[in-house]
Amino acid sequence: MLSAAIVVPLLGALGLLALRRLDERGLRLVALAVAAVPLVLLAGAWARFDPGTGGSFQLVEEVPWIPTLGVAWRVGVDGIALALALVSAVLFCAAVAYPVDTLGRPRHYYGWLLFLEAVSLGLFLTLDLLVFYVLFDLSLVGMYFLIGRWGHGDNRHAALKFFLYTLAGSLVMLLGILGLALAGDTVTFDMAELIRTQPLAGEGLRGGLVLFALLVGLGVKTPLVPVHTWLPPAHVDAPGPASTILAGVLLKMGTYGMIRIPLSMMRQTFADAALVLAVVAVVSIVYGALVALGQTNLKARIAYTSVNHMGYVVLGIAVAGAVLGGEEDGRALALTGATVQMVAHGLTTGALFLVAGSFWRRTGDYDLDAYGGLSGPAPRLAAVTTLAAFSSLGLPGLAQFVGEFQVFAGTFAVYPVLAGIALVGLLVTAALFLQMLQKLFFGPPGERHLDFPDLSGSEGAVLAVLGALIVAIGVYPRWLLDLVAATSAALVGGG
Amino acid sequence: MLWLVSLVPVLAGASLGVAAPRRRLALGAGAGAALAATVGLALWGALGRASASLDWGAGLVLRLAVDDPSAVMMVLVPAVALVVAVYAAAHEEERGLARLVGTLVAFTGAMELLVLAADVLTLLVAWELVGACSWALIGHQWWRAGTTGAATQAFVATRVGDLGLFAAAGAALAGTGSFDYRSLAGLDGAWLHVLVAGVVLAAVAKSALLPFSPWLFSAMAGPTSVSALLHAATMVAAGAFILVRLHPVLDQVAWFAPVVMGVGVATALAGGVVALVQRHAKKLLAASTSAQYGLMFVAVGAGVPAAALAHLVAHAAFKAGLFLSAGIAMEAVESPLLDRMRLGRRLPVVAGATIVVALALAAVPPLGGAWTKEQVLAAAGHAAPAAGVAVAVAGALSAFYAARLWLLAFGRPVEGGDPALRRRPSPAEVAAVVVLALASGLFGLAWVPGAGAVVGRLAGAELVPGTTWELALSLALVATALYAASVAHRRGTLVTLGRGSLAEAVAPWFRLSSLSQAVVVDPTLRLAGALVRFDDRVLDVPARAAQKVATTVAAGLAGADRRVVDAGVRGVAAVAAWAAGVMDRVSERGFDGAVRRLAGLVGAAGADVRRTQTGMTHHYYVVVAAGTGALVLVTLLWR
Repeated sequence: MLSAAIVVPLLGALGLLALRRLDERGLRLVALAVAAVPLVLLAGAWARFDPGTGGSFQLVEEVPWIPTLGVAWRVGVDGIALALALVSAVLFCAAVAYPVDTLGRPRHYYGWLLFLEAVSLGLFLTLDLLVFYVLFDLSLVGMYFLIGRWGHGDNRHAALKFFLYTLAGSLVMLLGILGLALAGDTVTFDMAELIRTQPLAGEGLRGGLVLFALLVGLGVKTPLVPVHTWLPPAHVDAPGPASTILAGVLLKMGTYGMIRIPLSMMRQTFADAALVLAVVAVVSIVYGALVALGQTNLKARIAYTSVNHMGYVVLGIAVAGAVLGGEEDGRALALTGATVQMVAHGLTTGALFLVAGSFWRRTGDYDLDAYGGLSGPAPRLAAVTTLAAFSSLGLPGLAQFVGEFQVFAGTFAVYPVLAGIALVGLLVTAALFLQMLQKLFFGPPGERHLDFPDLSGSEGAVLAVLGALIVAIGVYPRWLLDLVAATSAALVGGG
Repeated sequence: MLWLVSLVPVLAGASLGVAAPRRRLALGAGAGAALAATVGLALWGALGRASASLDWGAGLVLRLAVDDPSAVMMVLVPAVALVVAVYAAAHEEERGLARLVGTLVAFTGAMELLVLAADVLTLLVAWELVGACSWALIGHQWWRAGTTGAATQAFVATRVGDLGLFAAAGAALAGTGSFDYRSLAGLDGAWLHVLVAGVVLAAVAKSALLPFSPWLFSAMAGPTSVSALLHAATMVAAGAFILVRLHPVLDQVAWFAPVVMGVGVATALAGGVVALVQRHAKKLLAASTSAQYGLMFVAVGAGVPAAALAHLVAHAAFKAGLFLSAGIAMEAVESPLLDRMRLGRRLPVVAGATIVVALALAAVPPLGGAWTKEQVLAAAGHAAPAAGVAVAVAGALSAFYAARLWLLAFGRPVEGGDPALRRRPSPAEVAAVVVLALASGLFGLAWVPGAGAVVGRLAGAELVPGTTWELALSLALVATALYAASVAHRRGTLVTLGRGSLAEAVAPWFRLSSLSQAVVVDPTLRLAGALVRFDDRVLDVPARAAQKVATTVAAGLAGADRRVVDAGVRGVAAVAAWAAGVMDRVSERGFDGAVRRLAGLVGAAGADVRRTQTGMTHHYYVVVAAGTGALVLVTLLWR
C-alpha cells in the first residue's frame, strides 16, 4: 500500500506525457486525480496504523535489491513519517489544483509535479538510507526544472543556485550516510537495523565528523542560518505552487532527516552536539524573523519566515536529543511540537505562497508598497491571507501555535535561556505579518488597486481546504498529536 | 457545558458577521439575544461552580473551572457587552457594521474563555485570542489611513506581555509537570520566579500600565463602542483579573507585592496627570483607564485582591457609560476635542445620566465607585501609609479630570451660545448610557452597613477596614478637586489646561510613545534593514564565489570533454563519411546506401552527444560526478 503511494504518481507522471490531446484544464483534472491517489492510500494507512506502539515501524514492505550492500526497497512508517507523508500528499493536491500559468507546457508542468510527489512521499516512507539519499537528490532535480522552466524574473539563475547549493549539501550528507552505513560490522543501509545497533556510539571523533556531515547536509535543506541564502531567490522566482511544495514539503526533508538519521541512529553523539544545534536554531529563529521584517518583497518576506519557523523545528529536535536520559516529558513534547510545527508550517506557508502566486498572476508585482486597501475589491483573499498570517505568527486557535507552544514549553525544561531568547521571534513575526497585511489589504488604495479580482472559485476552494485544516489543528489537535506523540515518546525514551 | 459560556458568543458573533443583517434593529436584537443567553449561561455556571476539560493529546489538557473571582467576572463581561453591543448596533457607522457587532460578540466569548481558564495553557490561548479580537476591532475602519497601523501597534505592544505567559507556561510545565493552576502551589525556586515575572509582565501590558500605557492611546483608532468594551470588561480588565485570580500563587514571591504596588501607584498618578491635560475626550478616558487599573494593582499588591475586584466591577459600569456618552458627544459636534462641546442644554438626558457615571469616577459617595476606591485606599494604607496617601492623591486627580470631562462635554457654555447639534442620538444609544448610570447608582448599595462582608464573600477574600482619617482625607481631597474644577470652569481655564508646551508634552503620555518608537521600534527596523544587506552582501558571498568557481571549473572540464569526446565523435563521422565516399566510387548502389545511412546515424548521434553537452546541468553533473567519486573514495579509504 505504501509502495503504491509512491509508484502511482510516478506512473502518472509518465502517463501524463502521453496525453497530447487533452487541454490544460483536462490535464489539471487528470493530474489532480492522480495526485489524490496517494492521499487516499495514506489515509487508509492511517486507519490501519496503530498509534499506540510508538517505537517500531509499521506497515513495512520489503523487497531485496542489493543484498551484498544491505540495500533494499524498504518502506514503512512511524507516527512522524506518516504525519509528514499525509501533509505532503495534501499539499501536492493543493499545488496541482491551484491555477497557474503553465506557459503552454501543461503536460510537463504537471508531470514534474507528480514526479516530485512520488519522490517526496518515497523519502518520507522509505526505510533504506541509500534510497533516502537518492530521493533526497531527485527532489532537487524536480524542483530545478519547476523553477527553471516555469518561474519568473531571474529564475534560471535562482534555479541553478538552488540546485548547486543544495546538491553540495546533499553530497556532504552522503559522506555522513556512508560513514554511518559502513561503521557497523556488516554493511547495511537498513534504517531499522541502524537504529537498533547505533553503530557509531562511543566513537568520539569519527562519530562527531559523521554527525557534522549529516547536520550540514540536512541543515542546508532545512535551511539553517548561515546556509540559507539559496532559499529566498528560489522562492521569489518560483511559480506559486512550486514555492508551496518547496516550503511545505522539501524543507521538511531536512528536518525529517535530522529526526530519522542523527537523532535516531546516533543518540549519544547527537546528545553531545545538541546544545550547538539548539544555538544555531535560535540564531535562525531570531535572524530569520528580523531579515523577514526588513523585506519589501512579499515573497521574500514569506520565504524568510520559513527560516524562522524551521528554526523552531530544529530547536525542538535539538531539545529532544539533548540528553540520553531525564526530562523525558519535556523532550517528547518538544519533538511532538517539532513534528506538528512541520505539518502546520507546511499548511500555513503553503497557503501563503499560493496567495503570493495569485498576486503574481494578477499583477506580476511582489512589491508590498505597491498595494493597499485590497480588502475592498478582494475581501475573500484578504480573509484567507489574514487567517494564514495569524497562523504563521502563532495565534492560538490556529495550527502553528500548537507546534510552537510545544517546542517552547519543552525547551524551557532543557534550555530555559535559549527558550527565552527564541521568544523574541514571536514578537518580530507578529510585527512583520501584521505590517504585511496592513500594506496589502488595509489603508487607502495603493497603485495596484484598480481591477484587482478576488479569488476565483478554484483558488478559493484550495485555500478553503488548507484554511479548514489550519483551524482544525488549532482548535482540536488531538487527532494529529495522538498520531505523533507515541513515536516521540519512544524516540526520546530509548537510551 | 461550561464551554458554552465561551462558545455561544463566539459562534453567534461569527454567524452575525457572516449573515450580516442589513437592518440595525435586527443586528442589535441578534447580538442582544446572544449576549443575554450568555449572561444566563454565566449565571448558571457561576452558581453551579461547574468545571470542564478538553484533552488536546500529548499531555496538553485545556481546563475550565469557576472560582470566586471568575464567578463574578463571567457574569460581568457579557452583561457589559450586552449594553455595548446594543449601543454599537444603533450608533456606529453603517459600513462594516455587522462585522463590527459580530466581532464584539465573539470578543466576549474569548474573554469568557480567559476568565474561566483553569490552567496556564488555556489562559495563554484566551489571552492571545482577546488580543487578536482587539486588533480586528481597533482596525475595524481599515479604509481610513492609520487605523490598521494603530491596531498593529496595540497588538505588538501587548504581545510583549504575552511572551511573559509563554515563559510562565514553560516554567509551570518544567517545575510541576502540568499547566494546571492547582499544581502551581507546588512550584518553588527559580521556576516560581519565572512564572510570577511572566504573569506580572503579561498583566501590566494588558492593563496598559506603565510603561505600556501608550498602546491604549493607539487603540482609540477604533470605534467608541470598541473602546467601551475594551476598557470596561474585556482586554484591559484581563490584566487586573489574572492578578486577582492567581494572587495566592503570585504572592509567594517577596518582590511581587512591592513591584505591583509600585507600578500601580506610578501609573495611577501619571495617568491622572495625563487625563488632567488631555483635550481629546476618548484619550482623557483612556488615560483614566490606565490610572484606575493602577489603583486595582495597588490593591492586589497590598494583599487585598477583593478590593481590586470590587473596583474592577464598579469601574466597568462607569467607564463603559462614560465612553458611550463620549461617543454621543463626539458625534454630536463631529469632533473628538472637548474644546467646543458644552452639550448640556442640547442633550439634557445624556448629560444627566453622564453626571452619575462621572461622579462615580470622581468617587463621590454614595456612588459605588466611591466605596470601591475607599476599599483600595484602605488596603493601600494598611500595607504602607505612603501608598495610602498616594491613592488619595490619585483619587483627587480622578475627581478633577472627571469633573473636567463632564463640565467641558456636558456643562453649560461659559460664553457664546449652545453648539449646533450635527447628529441626535437614537433612543437605544441614550438608553445604554442610562442603564449604565443606573447600575453605577445601584452599586451605591455597597455603602449600606454590612455590605462589605457580602462583597468580600462574592470575591472570595477578605476586605480590610479603612481608618476614619483615611476616609476623611480622601473625601476632603475629592471635594477640593471638584471645587477647583468648578472654579476653573467658571473662569474658562478648564479647557486651556490642555494648551501650552508643557501640557502638549504631558498629554500624549509624556511622549512615551515617541520614546519607545525611538528606542525600540526604529532601531529594530534599522537592524532588520542592516541584516537584509548583511544577508545579501556577506552571507551569500561564499555561495556566489563557490558557484562561480564551480561554473568555471565545469566549463573547463566540459571544454576538455568536448575537445576529446566530441573530436572523437566528429572523427568517426568523418571517417565513416570518407569511407562512404570511397565505397560510393568503388561499389554498387545498395551497399553504398547502407553506408550512407550508417554515416548519417553516426553524425546524428554525434550531434545528440554535443547537444547534451551544451546544457548547463551537464556542467554540474561533471563536477558532481567527480566530487561524488572523490567523497566515496575518501570514505572507503578511511574505513
